Amino acid sequence: MQYTRKNVWELGNDWADPLLWYARGVAAMSTRALAEPTSWRFYGAIHGIDQPLWQQLGYLSSTDQMPSDAVIRRFWSQCQHGSWYFLPWHRGFVLAFEANVRDAVVKLGGPADWALPYWNYFKPNQFQLPRAFASPDWPDGQGNNPLFVQQRYGPNSDGNVFVPVNMVNLNAMNDPDFTGVASGGSPGFGGVDTGFEHGGQVHGGIETQPHDWVHGLVGGGDPQSQLPGLMSDPDTAGLDPIFWLHHANIDRLWAVWRQNPSTDVDPTDLNWIKGPANIGERIFSMPMPDGTSWDYTPGDMVNLASLGYQYDDVSPAVPVTQPGDRLLRLGASAAAARSVKGASAVASGKRVELVGASREPVRIKNGEAGTSVQLDAGMRRKVSASLTAAPETAAPDRVFLNLENVRGLADSTAFHVYVGLPQGAAPADHPERLAGSIALFGVRKASRVDGEHAGQGLTFVLDITNIVDSLHLANALDTDSLDVRIVPLKPVPEAAQISIGRVSIFRQGR
Amino acid sequence: MHVRAPLVLISAAAWMALVIEPGGAAFLAHCSPEMLARAALSLSLKRAVAPERIASLCSGWGLMLAAMMAPLVVAPVRHLCDRSVPRRRTRAIVLFGSGYVAVWMAAGVMLLALAIAARLIVYESYAMVSVGTLIALIWQFSPVKQRCLNRCHARTELAAFGLAADLDALRFGLTLGVWCVGSCWALMLLPLLVSGGHVAAMAAVALWLLAERLDRPMRPRWHVRGLGKAARLVIAQMQDFFSPRRFARGEGC
Repeated sequence: MQYTRKNVWELGNDWADPLLWYARGVAAMSTRALAEPTSWRFYGAIHGIDQPLWQQLGYLSSTDQMPSDAVIRRFWSQCQHGSWYFLPWHRGFVLAFEANVRDAVVKLGGPADWALPYWNYFKPNQFQLPRAFASPDWPDGQGNNPLFVQQRYGPNSDGNVFVPVNMVNLNAMNDPDFTGVASGGSPGFGGVDTGFEHGGQVHGGIETQPHDWVHGLVGGGDPQSQLPGLMSDPDTAGLDPIFWLHHANIDRLWAVWRQNPSTDVDPTDLNWIKGPANIGERIFSMPMPDGTSWDYTPGDMVNLASLGYQYDDVSPAVPVTQPGDRLLRLGASAAAARSVKGASAVASGKRVELVGASREPVRIKNGEAGTSVQLDAGMRRKVSASLTAAPETAAPDRVFLNLENVRGLADSTAFHVYVGLPQGAAPADHPERLAGSIALFGVRKASRVDGEHAGQGLTFVLDITNIVDSLHLANALDTDSLDVRIVPLKPVPEAAQISIGRVSIFRQGR
Repeated sequence: MHVRAPLVLISAAAWMALVIEPGGAAFLAHCSPEMLARAALSLSLKRAVAPERIASLCSGWGLMLAAMMAPLVVAPVRHLCDRSVPRRRTRAIVLFGSGYVAVWMAAGVMLLALAIAARLIVYESYAMVSVGTLIALIWQFSPVKQRCLNRCHARTELAAFGLAADLDALRFGLTLGVWCVGSCWALMLLPLLVSGGHVAAMAAVALWLLAERLDRPMRPRWHVRGLGKAARLVIAQMQDFFSPRRFARGEGC
């Protein structure tokens, strides 16, 4: 059978049948005990679990019986973040979850072709949380709507949940490389080469934006208790029913990215195709409704149609960037720019080198923070020379801002990063200097000294090529330093202990 | 900048020296029961700690370190290179290496002293190796060992310019050295306790250390830590090598 995932805002009404059945399926799974592999909370724990946090949020009690150690080791805490497995692992996760909901739906007399809707917050007027998720009541006015959760606070932490469209972007869709590097250059569309990574240090392009950002904006945090919203933290995100619609959309964006087969292709490396088992690490495994386990590899996930799925809309999410546009801006003739084929102008080389770095760590508390990135004169000249010679070589450097070793306790923290703002200028007046927006999804876990990250925190990579191009064209790149301004979405409490170990700039080119 | 190949070459050259050069592993003979017995009988430890012997011990220990530890620092050195401006990379590596080796040399003094003392107290080699193995096993499975191992995976921020960058590179080497010693000391003691087959013992320990470094950090607790990932990696690669699909793809040719 072929299943079609549809846009949640275009189902016909707020409680259209697919949503009504989804709610009934969620309710059925929620009645099952934690130790049952097909229960709602078990599936949440597959993504991640932090027992003290679950207890604080009311999702775990002393009377809950835990599964066996073997079951926990096989299934729980599997989510792949900061890894090139991010997309394929989540595709399998959503597929398996959907199969379990469908099983519950069918047992309740629902349609056998039920499929999970997706939430495309980028579409005009669809940025608001779908109403079925925002009301504590079922459509008949009865309470306990399972799609509603109290711990979903929204971008302003006031319970109004929406995705501010000016804060999310699809820039990653124009990255022609699936696999990136962890050495300061592009993290790629799909992430960097890792083993089994339950929260890696460097997040890939589509993971950083829009994935992380939507998690942080939707989940928010409780302004009183300072506890995160469910969606804000990887260890609780799978407990929120909207999580699955968000990830269906991220999965759809992977399918959209693949629409350009001439450049956008999945990795062919055996370690990706065969998954972490190929290097002696954990397999990806999901419990299915019939009591079996489904083990899968990234290679099994590349063809959505063969898995029996399709989306109702895989049209291009953003205008495709023409490789010659940048060369044109850098002074190439129109004819030369037109002659550039494929993605050569944006993916000009793989050599990654440090150009400059801040001298001190940056602490973020309350309002804005800033630092100055000191540039190495030789490396700065190298970047300038590459941009100057671009019309002839057609291979200008790409430039990336790195926020290294970001540590803290509040995953709901989010901020904008500006580069090269004029002194005293209001950031909002200079959108052209916005390097990107960061949500610290996973930072609490990454900051634990004895956790999987050994306390090194997260590292975020933002493409600032366009900003550097404009500085170069304005003859403003001949400078010893570049200012970087951090503008939090809302004041960051001191208790969040957010810090950035180093802010650095890298070039990637020949 | 290539990191893995030079470090693997350093390790290979040190192993060659230990295997081929007759005096390569001779420093370990200074800890031999016979040598120490003679020293004890002469009621003087001076022979055991004579300057030429100290020099031999130091160079031998250095060779042992180069052989066993060079593969373990591939990832940290890569981090250092990635996060340094190109013109400062070599300098950063030298400073990092100095810090790392200094810690291990200091640890070597203590480990060799411990081995010599053990020889003097317990003449029977098998008893000494048994006690050493027991200590190593207890340490291996302890939460403290896991804590040290976890810290070996930390890749912290580094200053990029001036004295701060030099100090950070040195500090990175020193810190990693401390955690590395904490993680490896008990196993490193074993080759010093056996009365023969030193190089074979060192090779076995080196493989073990490399294998456990492949595993990612985990919560410190009492835990039977084996070759886990390394064994699975070898099995997976062998399965891949002998897979019919591989030959069907023509990769076996």
